[in-house]
Amino acid sequence: MRNETDRESVPEPPNPIGMDGIEFIEFTTSRPQALGDILEKMGFRLIARHRSREVLLYRQGGMNIVINSHPADIPRTASPLEHPVISALAIRVRDAGAAYQRALDLGAWEIPVRAQALELNIPGIHGVGESLIYFVDRYDEFSIFDIDFRAIPGVDLHPPAINNLNFFGIVQYVGVDRTEDWAEFYSQLFGFSRIPDSVRFGIMPKGELLQSPCRKFFLQLIEPDGAAQYAPMEEHLQRIGLGTPDVISTAAELEKRGIEFLATDKVHTNERGALTKAVLGGLMFELVQTPSAS
Amino acid sequence: MMNFNDFGIDSASMAGSLENRLNAARQAGFSHVMISATDIVGHPSSTASAVQTIRDSGLRVTGLEALRDFEGLSGKMHDYKIDVAKSMLSLCSQIGGRLLLTEASSSAHADTDPEKIARDLRKLAFLALPMGIRIAFKGLSWSRTVKNFADAAEIISLANCPNLGLAIDAFDVIAAEVPLGDLDLIFPQQIFLVQLSDFMLQEVHTTEEQETTATHFRVFPGEGAHSEALAKFIVKLEEIGYFGDYSFDVYNSDYLQIPAEVIAERARRAAEWLGETVLRRTLPVPNMERLRLTARDRGC
Repeated sequence: MRNETDRESVPEPPNPIGMDGIEFIEFTTSRPQALGDILEKMGFRLIARHRSREVLLYRQGGMNIVINSHPADIPRTASPLEHPVISALAIRVRDAGAAYQRALDLGAWEIPVRAQALELNIPGIHGVGESLIYFVDRYDEFSIFDIDFRAIPGVDLHPPAINNLNFFGIVQYVGVDRTEDWAEFYSQLFGFSRIPDSVRFGIMPKGELLQSPCRKFFLQLIEPDGAAQYAPMEEHLQRIGLGTPDVISTAAELEKRGIEFLATDKVHTNERGALTKAVLGGLMFELVQTPSAS
Repeated sequence: MMNFNDFGIDSASMAGSLENRLNAARQAGFSHVMISATDIVGHPSSTASAVQTIRDSGLRVTGLEALRDFEGLSGKMHDYKIDVAKSMLSLCSQIGGRLLLTEASSSAHADTDPEKIARDLRKLAFLALPMGIRIAFKGLSWSRTVKNFADAAEIISLANCPNLGLAIDAFDVIAAEVPLGDLDLIFPQQIFLVQLSDFMLQEVHTTEEQETTATHFRVFPGEGAHSEALAKFIVKLEEIGYFGDYSFDVYNSDYLQIPAEVIAERARRAAEWLGETVLRRTLPVPNMERLRLTARDRGC
């Protein structure tokens, strides 16, 4: 090991915090039932409830989605809204404490420990807008959900995924001229790297694609265009992308379950991808064709 | 034709209540104003009132000033300055500001290692990043390590963070007689803010004299002894492609005994002088803030 003052000459390891995919994505909403209905249609199953808070855990295959509807008295920035917002992203890392400390040293904003929505002992930092980013290192033999959640009696705790659906990525809306900033943020803190413009997935090719160092997850940064450029800066996590090896049959299955997809000249389902119609004030999911899903 | 929107005024150039100074700036025709942190925390009612006053003023915030003696510290002093920086960033965000002016450290306790300075500024820029705030780093002639914009530019390059750039103060350039050719080495997109003022003295010889003149005896462009040098400086900036804001940072003890309306009017004359004699920027350039402002003016 070289000493710290020599850091500039040492290339950063390709995966500085040992990122290993996504443990869960959290939505905040004051109408958990309405969001839960949509998640059920998307193939997720309610498998557990938080022991003391109004927090629900939905699962499908390897994907966990948490719905947080705890009243606004929680001292945190994102208070429950009627329409669901993506309020947190929990990433799996080798050592959560070390990843957290490294993030703070680089200049991330910590969130007060007891203000964490789930009351789990997992460290977190502020992300885009009012969203949070958690670091989770217990996800193999037993998970963070084993501690603070109570399983719904009789449910399958590991419901299979429809057509191998998996977390493909998240679309983040950013302000004008803000792509560089956010690319730097994700690259420094987590080791995300830019994907050349020639490589695109799905049917929504705009913006800048960043790939996680574990190669399991993408972030797509999209700046406003047209008249939206003149609106006040609004940055947030906009939608989840779900990967599937066969978009057409997955979309057909989801339609049967009551999910509607956009079918306009510009945006319609094809073998590369699909986009659900916005519901509940803006909630949508994107399907993205992936060559091999785990 | 001049473009008045290119110029803003520092609230610290005027005396009186925050409300009065903002009003004077607006009445004189300015569309943006540089806010001092003391304007907000020193407000007689409350910080919240000051924030609301600024947000209600109709003026865009050029930026918040100034974070000082931030970089080069270690241990508890570093942690303390991080806390100060966070408070200022929060204030900046609350008033809708997108830029925090950060002046190079003049502290005797600060490390002079450029790598350490760059690392600290990078951390500051990272703290500012999620809030959409840019850090404009400014050399000070009385700093031990970063005395001018060329020094500052080297640190910025070392730190290499997209929301970390330079603030260049015309006063420093003129007082220290910095060759304008030094600007050729700067990428225009690295310059986040240019501050404009002149002074009466023909020359300032010592660093002490520079500091005193800089903090007490500045005057508006067109009023001082270096109009030609100032004009050349701005023309040079335009040549290299600078398209950001200009702000009048006229710190003058006498001006603080003159009504804000009168000072704002002098600032207006300075803007007119610059626009008519120096700048020929007739159309808004593709700069985010300015486009937005134009759109707002049109009621979009």
